[in-house]
Amino acid sequence: MSTQPRPSTPRAPSPQQAPSPQEAPSGRKDGSPRQGPRTQRRRRRGAERRPRFAIAVTALFFLLLYLPVGVVVLFSFNAQKSLTVLDGVSMRWYTALLHDDVLLDSLGMSLRVSLVAMAGSLVLGVALALGLVRSRSRLGSFAGLIMLVPLITPEIVTGVAAMLLFKGLGITLSTTTVMLAEITFSISYVTVILRSRIAALNPEVEEAAMDLGATRGQALRLVTLPALLPSILASAVLIFALVFDDFVLAYFTTGVDPQPLSVRIYSAIRFGVQPTINAVGTLMLAGSIGLIVLALAIPRLFGRRGGLDLLSGK
Amino acid sequence: MATRSDRTGTAVRTPRDPAAPKAPPGDRTGPGAPPRTRTRTRTRQPRLWTWLLLPGTLWMTGFLVASLLLVATLALGTTDPLGNPRFGLNFANLTALADPAYSTVLLRSLGYALITCLISLAIAYPVAYAIALRGGRFKNLLIAAIVVPFFANYLVRMYGWSVVLSDDGPLLRALRAIGLADDSTKILQTGVGVIAGLVYGFVVFMIIPLYAAMERMDTSLIEAGRDLYGGPLRTFLFVTVPATRQGAAAGCVLVFLPAMGDFVSAQLMGGPDQIMIGNLIQDKFFQGQNWPLGSALTMLLMAVLFLGMLGYLRRTRKDEAEAAR
Repeated sequence: MSTQPRPSTPRAPSPQQAPSPQEAPSGRKDGSPRQGPRTQRRRRRGAERRPRFAIAVTALFFLLLYLPVGVVVLFSFNAQKSLTVLDGVSMRWYTALLHDDVLLDSLGMSLRVSLVAMAGSLVLGVALALGLVRSRSRLGSFAGLIMLVPLITPEIVTGVAAMLLFKGLGITLSTTTVMLAEITFSISYVTVILRSRIAALNPEVEEAAMDLGATRGQALRLVTLPALLPSILASAVLIFALVFDDFVLAYFTTGVDPQPLSVRIYSAIRFGVQPTINAVGTLMLAGSIGLIVLALAIPRLFGRRGGLDLLSGK
Repeated sequence: MATRSDRTGTAVRTPRDPAAPKAPPGDRTGPGAPPRTRTRTRTRQPRLWTWLLLPGTLWMTGFLVASLLLVATLALGTTDPLGNPRFGLNFANLTALADPAYSTVLLRSLGYALITCLISLAIAYPVAYAIALRGGRFKNLLIAAIVVPFFANYLVRMYGWSVVLSDDGPLLRALRAIGLADDSTKILQTGVGVIAGLVYGFVVFMIIPLYAAMERMDTSLIEAGRDLYGGPLRTFLFVTVPATRQGAAAGCVLVFLPAMGDFVSAQLMGGPDQIMIGNLIQDKFFQGQNWPLGSALTMLLMAVLFLGMLGYLRRTRKDEAEAAR
């Protein structure tokens, strides 16, 4: 016992410690008023050493993560056209936006597409998720398989495929085709999110409802769906934000006029920079960040678990 | 206990395990259900649940599976003199892929996507480590701060990033000020710019699985490594990395897939000589109007990614087999 902590004392001057710069400062600064034998305390601290390098990289990462976003927001208020020199503050580009009918049309179209895709994918996705968890038919394993396809296929492939399908069927690309493609793409997300939630529900509650005389449909409507409501709402918000921001799929399935906002931004960026884009971008950033924060907060607003676990990964 | 299971997303399993260890997981009928209910659910259950499966499955089959099959068939098609696609059984498109011009682009895409994976790993390991092990009560907030901007419009973020990286943008100006760059240094219009764009676009896909793996990791392993005189670097390489390699593998797949298919980064950050396979596909469908060749290129992309996925699946299966032993 007593020999174990001993070697910790000569650790500091040992050659292994020499190249680690974080040893000396952290050893002293972390000095909590904890009592104990000197050697033991030292070992403790050694184990709890702050990973300075990792923390420095994280700080730099956060800086670079938010720098581009900050630049867009900052220059949306620039009085001049420049993208490198700030020259006074003005709302000039926002007012320009209000008079840009093309952009406003695109905004309206994006909102319509997002709403329709949200509604459509929720109806299909919730039903699919329920079926996937509860049904043991062979259709379920097939559905479970194809539902994963959009998640492991790059968007450019699904985009090309959807475009070829519509053209092959002789359907002119339009707002409707964008909606259809976005619904297809969103069903997977709804299903993945809700599937784990449904699996986590206690099926005995449903059975209790049926023992009390409810039919299976009533149990589903009166017991299961209300229990899933926070998750459904959270995925609705998430789908809205994802579809509104989606570019690749919209790019391949949109017609001539109007085009979704992200497609419009794409052509604006490609053919010379326009400062209005900073203003549109800022509004879009604010909108989607607000929606995502809302999606993350919904389970908390309901005061119960069962919302959207974005953070725990798939 | 409840909060714990909620956080990991694995639900109610944990609290019940010690009480009923013999109940097989996934048994949804409930051990104490009276036989009467059971027969009732047996007869009604399949029909309702299968009916619920039907619309979504039909939709996905009609729009997704059919459209992907269409791409595969059109890859064997031709174009008529007017430029309209014709179905057929023609391998000219597939042999055209052997053209060195295409293989150069494919190799470049593979290289860029791989480098993007490596750089993302190099960024994600310290970030996930710092947040998972040192985040304290700010953990969730910090992860949310990483995830939230990622959901913001991809184009707007890329555009902001291209402004940051531009020749007189903040990054190069800062580098020049500290003498790390001179006036001729460029990031945009180079391969470095394209990779920087890809990393910025997809690094989150690496951080999240790695973070999840680090959270699950037994931190006493790190202390043990330190107690055994491992320096920070050695402990990291021989303890932390092996313990989180599944998260890293998942992250690599999640970064590699979209990076291979991306065409925005190469367009905004690179130049005409930096195009990736995504740009080729886009070009064949919009400018070139050669849909069969575009389809063939799409299938080539899918084939490359499929091989990558196979490698990943074999790897994880091996890991799982080892863990089960």
